[in-house]
Amino acid sequence: MSSNFNNKDLNIYVLIKQVPDTRSKAGVNADGTIDRAKAGKMLNPFDAFAMEAALNAKAMGGPNSRITAVTMGPPPAVDILYQALGHGIDNTCILSDRKLAASDTLATAYALSMTLKYLFKRDGNPDLVFCGLQTTDGDTAQVGPEICERLDLTQVTYVEDFKIENNIVHARKVIEGGAMEVEAQLPALLTVANSYKKLKFKTLRGAKFVQEVKRSEKLQKEFLEVVDLAQVGADDAQCGLAGSPTIVSMTWKIGTVGGNCKMHQGKSALELVSEVLSAESNLVKEFLKV
Amino acid sequence: MAGEVLIVAEQIHGVIAKVTLELLGEGRKLADKLGSPLSCFILGHNMDSQIQRVIEAGADKIYIADHPELAEYKTLPYRRVILDELDTWKTPPHTLLMGSTTTGRDLAPRIAAYFQTGLTADTIELDIGPYEHKAGTDKSKIGYFPECLYANRPSFGESLKARILGPWKDPQMATIRPGVFQLPAKVEKDQASVEIKKIAVNLKEEDFRVKIAKILREESTKVDISEADVIVAGGFGLGSQEGFKLLEELASCFNNAVVGASRKAVDVGWISYPYQVGQTGKTVRPKLYIACGISGALQHRVGMQKSDCIIAINKDPDAPIFSFATHGIVGDIYQVIPEMIKQVKALNRQTVSV
Ligand SMILES: Cc1cc2nc3c(=O)[nH]c(=O)nc-3n(C[C@H](O)[C@H](O)[C@H](O)COP(=O)(O)OP(=O)(O)OC[C@H]3O[C@@H](n4cnc5c(N)ncnc54)[C@H](O)[C@@H]3O)c2cc1C
Ligand SMILES: Nc1ncnc2c1ncn2[C@@H]1O[C@H](COP(=O)(O)O)[C@@H](O)[C@H]1O
Repeated sequence: MSSNFNNKDLNIYVLIKQVPDTRSKAGVNADGTIDRAKAGKMLNPFDAFAMEAALNAKAMGGPNSRITAVTMGPPPAVDILYQALGHGIDNTCILSDRKLAASDTLATAYALSMTLKYLFKRDGNPDLVFCGLQTTDGDTAQVGPEICERLDLTQVTYVEDFKIENNIVHARKVIEGGAMEVEAQLPALLTVANSYKKLKFKTLRGAKFVQEVKRSEKLQKEFLEVVDLAQVGADDAQCGLAGSPTIVSMTWKIGTVGGNCKMHQGKSALELVSEVLSAESNLVKEFLKV
Repeated sequence: MAGEVLIVAEQIHGVIAKVTLELLGEGRKLADKLGSPLSCFILGHNMDSQIQRVIEAGADKIYIADHPELAEYKTLPYRRVILDELDTWKTPPHTLLMGSTTTGRDLAPRIAAYFQTGLTADTIELDIGPYEHKAGTDKSKIGYFPECLYANRPSFGESLKARILGPWKDPQMATIRPGVFQLPAKVEKDQASVEIKKIAVNLKEEDFRVKIAKILREESTKVDISEADVIVAGGFGLGSQEGFKLLEELASCFNNAVVGASRKAVDVGWISYPYQVGQTGKTVRPKLYIACGISGALQHRVGMQKSDCIIAINKDPDAPIFSFATHGIVGDIYQVIPEMIKQVKALNRQTVSV
């Protein structure tokens, strides 16, 4: 075994998604539903951890290691690809196609797998693919494992920490009741838990580079690849509504507990506590130890 | 006739997980509506002692795979055994359910992608019912389906519930949140009336791509926070292990009260795992949940949001926990909790004196 095996150049991918921004009030209806057209957009918060993981993996590889961020979404989703470039991701690719509308997880995983296959064929076999644990809008955590099934990558989900040594990923992952340390062979797909390290801030250089790319069509061609289903060789029938085995047949509002939390603030601890205890005095008295 | 209702069991250290029993209880109702058998896959090593529990939870058919490599859950070996078996079935299961645990969420998407079938995540209600697909761009989907799996799940930050179904292809799959279904009452059935079948285990070399190096899991001991009426839970905001002493003092003012914790407080070692509330801890439903220095991350929330009354204390007015608590106190735990102890104790004296 060669001694510099550790420094093998790594070909890394990270899958990121743009989701509605639920932190701001914009686009959030009174009943709590989201008006996707009006809502602001943001990088899926879980994918920031995946991006940090990809950047750290790159640092563990050889000097020519590279990361490609891939997203599937409407054209404005390039915003998160610019964001990725600012954080030091080397290349980006967006799969955008009207036929992708209303994709469920199976159809999403299919379209992303085909995009990855297209990139692997051109840019070489992958070593690592990182996904967020889940999205805040789809909220399924299924896309990563479904891609593994299609691409036959080694699967490690819920990763909290990892290092790469001799072509093996040593990862710590969340399990019921604790954690597990595993050794996984490359090429692997890792879904990264939000207990992983926080994404570091953009560097000044990164921010400047993004400005340059935004201004130059030539740089956009180089760093922001736009593909559609035909280009990646995907079968339309397996995409979007047609390729989705599930539908949402109805939705209705649910009263979550509280929902309209009664806030107590700006007073002394004595007043705050007495407000709450008198509002809930029956409950409190019921369980008081005498 | 509709195919079987299949539950893929989860086990920890050879003991069937509670969520599997919950699913058997709910699966029984679905199987009865369909007139289909309720089946359970058990994968593990030396699991025979668990068969009786699964029968008592209502299973009609048990498929058991025994192999040392199956003792701990690993994606690829489990996937192999399940798919090999299901590939031999003439009729696929009508419904296939797993818990939405770290295991179920790891394995169920593999099975769904293999069969290219639908999978609903994190379901909170299940039923069987009809669906008519009338119009739409995809004409091949039009039709009347008398027996669909209805999987209802929260969506959009839990303010909406969505019914998701996919009657076009079996198995219709869902992962189910632990703790939302009741444990089934014990079913009296003798083992002889239950069909028990061995599943062949033929693992391939590529199934060993992930090796387990170490498992860090603390045994759940006697503490069962899921039975308490009052839980005083502490999070990372407590700042130190000492903080839990304060919470214990508050808890000791109530009957059937315990302390609980967020995962972050457990991870830093201030309190042990059996006290953890949330997705990878316990699901609790006390009458009163006092959350101290807990931000209210989704994985914590799913474990406690069904509490009757939630009092949250957090110094950050924008903490997510204030979006679903009953009462939100914006303040420092170390000022609010001692005051609460004082006032609760005073209440106590009042109650006694009247
Ligand atoms: C796969 C997976 C499974 C998970 N499972 C679980 C689970 O089962 N249970 C769980 O709880 N988490 C779980 N988590 C972790 C979860 O995402 C959060 O990270 C965790 O719940 C945060 O814990 P916390 O609220 O204690 O800490 P933080 O998010 O750090 O919040 C601390 C809070 O304390 C407040 N605070 C600080 N000081 C004070 C003070 N002096 N007075 C008042 N307030 C103060 C802060 O404003 C802050 O809101 C899981 C994560 C993953 C990825
Ligand atoms: N449209 C998409 N584009 C790129 N990545 C995605 C997309 N949808 C899901 N993913 C990836 O899959 C993970 C899990 O998403 P989900 O299954 O929707 O909860 C996300 O964190 C992303 O890494």
